[in-house]
Amino acid sequence: MDRELLIEIGCEEIPASWLPGLTTQVAQRLDARLADVRLTSESPAESYSTPRRLTARVAKLAERQTDLEDVVTGPPVLAAFTGSGEPTPAAVGFAKKYGVDVGALERHDTPKGTYLAYRVRQRGKATVDVLADVMGGLLRDLTFPKAMRWDAYLEDGRGDLLFARPIRWLVLMYGGRVVPFVIRRTELAQGPTVQDVRSGSNTYGHRFLTTSGRAGRAIKIKTFGDYQARLLENFVILDRSERESKIRRELETHARRLGGRVGSLAAVQSTLLQEVPDLVEYPSVVAGHFPVEFLQLPEEVLTTTMIHHQHNFPVVDDEGRLKSAFLAVINMEPERPEIIARNAERVLAARLRDARFFWDEDRKATLDSRIDRLSTIAFHKKLGSYREKADRVASLARWIAADACGRPEAAAHAERAGRLCKADLATDMVRELTELQGTMGGIYAREEGLPEEVWKAIYFHYLPIGVEADAPPSRAQLDAAAVTWAAVALADKLDSVVGMFSAGERPTGSRDPLGLRRQAQGVVKILADLPELTGLDLRLPIGLLLARAADPFSGYAEWSGPLLAFMRDRLTYLLEQRGYDVRSVRAVTHAGLERTSPLEARRKLEALEEMSAVGATYTSPLHGVATLLKRVKNITKGVEAEPHWAGLQARLTEPAERALWARIDERAQGIREAAARGDYRDAFTGIAALQPAVATFFDDVLVMAEDERLRRARLALVAALRDLILEIADISEIVAEGAP
Amino acid sequence: MTLQDLILKLSAFWASHGCLLQQPLDLEVGAGTSHPETLFRVLGPKPWSVGYVQPSRRPDDGRFGQNPNRLFKHHQYQVILKPSPDEVQQTYLESLEACGINPRQHDIRFEEDNWESPTLGAWGIGWQVMLDGLEITQFTYFQQVGGIDLAPISCEITYGLERIAMFLQRVDNVFDLEWGGGVKYAEVRLQEEIDQSKYAFGQVDMPADEFAALHRELFDRNYGFSERLLASGLIWPALEHCLKCSHLFNILDSSGSIGVTERTAYILRVRQLAVRIARAYVEASPGSDGQDAGPHA
Repeated sequence: MDRELLIEIGCEEIPASWLPGLTTQVAQRLDARLADVRLTSESPAESYSTPRRLTARVAKLAERQTDLEDVVTGPPVLAAFTGSGEPTPAAVGFAKKYGVDVGALERHDTPKGTYLAYRVRQRGKATVDVLADVMGGLLRDLTFPKAMRWDAYLEDGRGDLLFARPIRWLVLMYGGRVVPFVIRRTELAQGPTVQDVRSGSNTYGHRFLTTSGRAGRAIKIKTFGDYQARLLENFVILDRSERESKIRRELETHARRLGGRVGSLAAVQSTLLQEVPDLVEYPSVVAGHFPVEFLQLPEEVLTTTMIHHQHNFPVVDDEGRLKSAFLAVINMEPERPEIIARNAERVLAARLRDARFFWDEDRKATLDSRIDRLSTIAFHKKLGSYREKADRVASLARWIAADACGRPEAAAHAERAGRLCKADLATDMVRELTELQGTMGGIYAREEGLPEEVWKAIYFHYLPIGVEADAPPSRAQLDAAAVTWAAVALADKLDSVVGMFSAGERPTGSRDPLGLRRQAQGVVKILADLPELTGLDLRLPIGLLLARAADPFSGYAEWSGPLLAFMRDRLTYLLEQRGYDVRSVRAVTHAGLERTSPLEARRKLEALEEMSAVGATYTSPLHGVATLLKRVKNITKGVEAEPHWAGLQARLTEPAERALWARIDERAQGIREAAARGDYRDAFTGIAALQPAVATFFDDVLVMAEDERLRRARLALVAALRDLILEIADISEIVAEGAP
Repeated sequence: MTLQDLILKLSAFWASHGCLLQQPLDLEVGAGTSHPETLFRVLGPKPWSVGYVQPSRRPDDGRFGQNPNRLFKHHQYQVILKPSPDEVQQTYLESLEACGINPRQHDIRFEEDNWESPTLGAWGIGWQVMLDGLEITQFTYFQQVGGIDLAPISCEITYGLERIAMFLQRVDNVFDLEWGGGVKYAEVRLQEEIDQSKYAFGQVDMPADEFAALHRELFDRNYGFSERLLASGLIWPALEHCLKCSHLFNILDSSGSIGVTERTAYILRVRQLAVRIARAYVEASPGSDGQDAGPHA
């Protein structure tokens, strides 16, 4: 009969940001472990978590392991019997090993010949007898961003059991009965206050809340349903989504009562809303106020203080303006919520008082006067201080505005903003509210009366963060500062990425402590959306910018390879995130990053999509050319373009080859010109128009002719075709594998 | 509850839970962790439980007595429990109750906050304890000290005494706290805060380069002497002179006397010395083979 498996790992508070991932892991790892030991269930494991527990349940788990059936091969039949048909010692030995007669062995045919074989049939063990191994395996399998030692080990010969936080209790029940399991404590630690953790049928509710008895006492449970109900009685909502909806509900009610709504900074707030359900077992909301005079502080300072530092939700009025109120999510059902609210108000007010002090003090000095202080703030041990970085960014921003973008009139502002963009690191406000780097500098620059081109470039220079086409900032936000912003934002990011590569700091696998991927993503995004963001219709190749950004660093040639590969991955990621097919992305980035401009790649993809060349129909002319291009590339492997291929035309005699020559000659210039002005739709249309000639050519003409001179002329012809297309995109990539 | 009552309550509570009551380290340190009662005792296998107040100097936090929440010098109540008991969180919460904080009327949470001291080669895993949104305690399971993996694991509980007292007395300015017997915190400490802040930020009647040179020299002399003491096997005084270096570095830093490259180099030097001292302590400790450590271990 199938029975219920229930596991609860009772822990001290697990970091909130780990819980979503851990919850998924628990179910996956448990399913994998159960499958490993041949325990089948009707449905996969369900998993749950609160800060103090990781829970898994399998509703119906088989009572026994599936029987094992396996064939063990013995000696070859040829070596198993003597000439007279008597079993040899090898055969007798093999049979004896399994306690049977030679006559009971099977014959097993393999490519190498026929072998004696024994069919093992092992009856599955009772589930309760294998669950301890499953439990141990599960504890070993879970991984954490950072694990700790807590003087614990398992008796599996693998030593210390590291975990997220110390495990304080363990429920391991199958069919309502406890399955014995023990986490041992090391000899050095063990004593009256440090004990082994043994599996049991006790769980624990909320630390402070209870409907009966003493809060935090042990609660005996039998089934999952019972478990969940008893937890709720003891103020633990096991299901995260229920905690989240209780929070949402109460936030809305309280905000309405305050005559407003929860702030519209959706992105920031949803991050907070994503976090709070994992900080609490039984959430409720209290409302508080802060003195109205703090509303004179910049909105960014108020929201950052509330959201990032106090996990408080700001409240706004109907026009979206901040009210002098906030909402706090707490892990209690307080008898007197006003006590908690008053205390939370005092903490927030103290922080806002600090912020106002910083705001007043910081504005007494200009950003310019802070640049020298940057020499005491480290950027990177091999790359020096922020002072040095600011100098590099200023010079690079100037070059980007004047030379790369061809806007010399923006150069001075770009340079100024570049030099000042890190100056806020030396302000008290940013030392306290580090999230406001850049933003704060922009605000101070505005207060100083610096022009919009400068202050907005500083304010937005950390953006963009996402890859979406509408990720902020927008053209409207940037307004007159669009070009200077692009120059500074690119310069700052390029300098970080290129500098870090020169210092040997490259992101590997999941390790990217300096956030280089995000920075590189920002570079690619700005370049791909340059016209929308700045009104500049420029197809800037990444390679050009990287090479200039590398000027202050030595040895570019040595590490440019990995850097270009890294940037190429970021470009690919951006384009794929925008929904383009991976094959099309390969087609438009084939030329290598030094020559690829993200905007160009994006426009080519848009043109390809418009022409529905991908996946739609195999009969479109462009698709026809793409398919033939594959053949062309194969037969012209290693064939260099003939500089004077046109001169070889005299050797071409077949009508099909003369026709192809004529079509290419007629179309090539138009295709190249269309590509040069960025009209890729026109360029691809030109290529598609070659389709009938190319198809007829391959039907009628044998490229690899006997005659060497003729062969060379024909190869030159197809190589010319190849190069004409590859200048724009390697459209052979868009042909699906196995397509006609 | 006055500040001194709070200290008495915590002392009585932890004494009743098996802690020895120790006295503050009579040197300038940034935190109770630097006290040998923590730094040395958590090394090696010998069980040890202790509680003490540690005046903690953070030159960079000096505000000339003008900020209601920030101080050049604040006070920590430091508890070390080795090995860390299974019930340690519960016991900690009971200590709050003993100080008059009823957990059923407040929102008390353990939020992830790991601790690291680059100059001591030490780090641990733990939380900041939040009381109605106010951070009142740092709670850490030490993993490494002096670059040495710890076994067994010690638990460090560090209460911020001024914060908790302000919470209990419902005052918004630390200088309004009642220290004891009707005497205000300002009366006890305000002038000290002003003078110490001026010193920390180099507002001394002395050219800035001389100020820096003097502190560099003091650093070097203490450093060199600490090495001599260590070579002589005098681990305790060696640690004390290493801690002096750490404080002098903090002053050099807060007074803006060192650049960024130098700063990193100073941190590294202090760490290297601290690591050597910790190693020497472990090697010299009879407890390292599992036996009882003597009083001079």
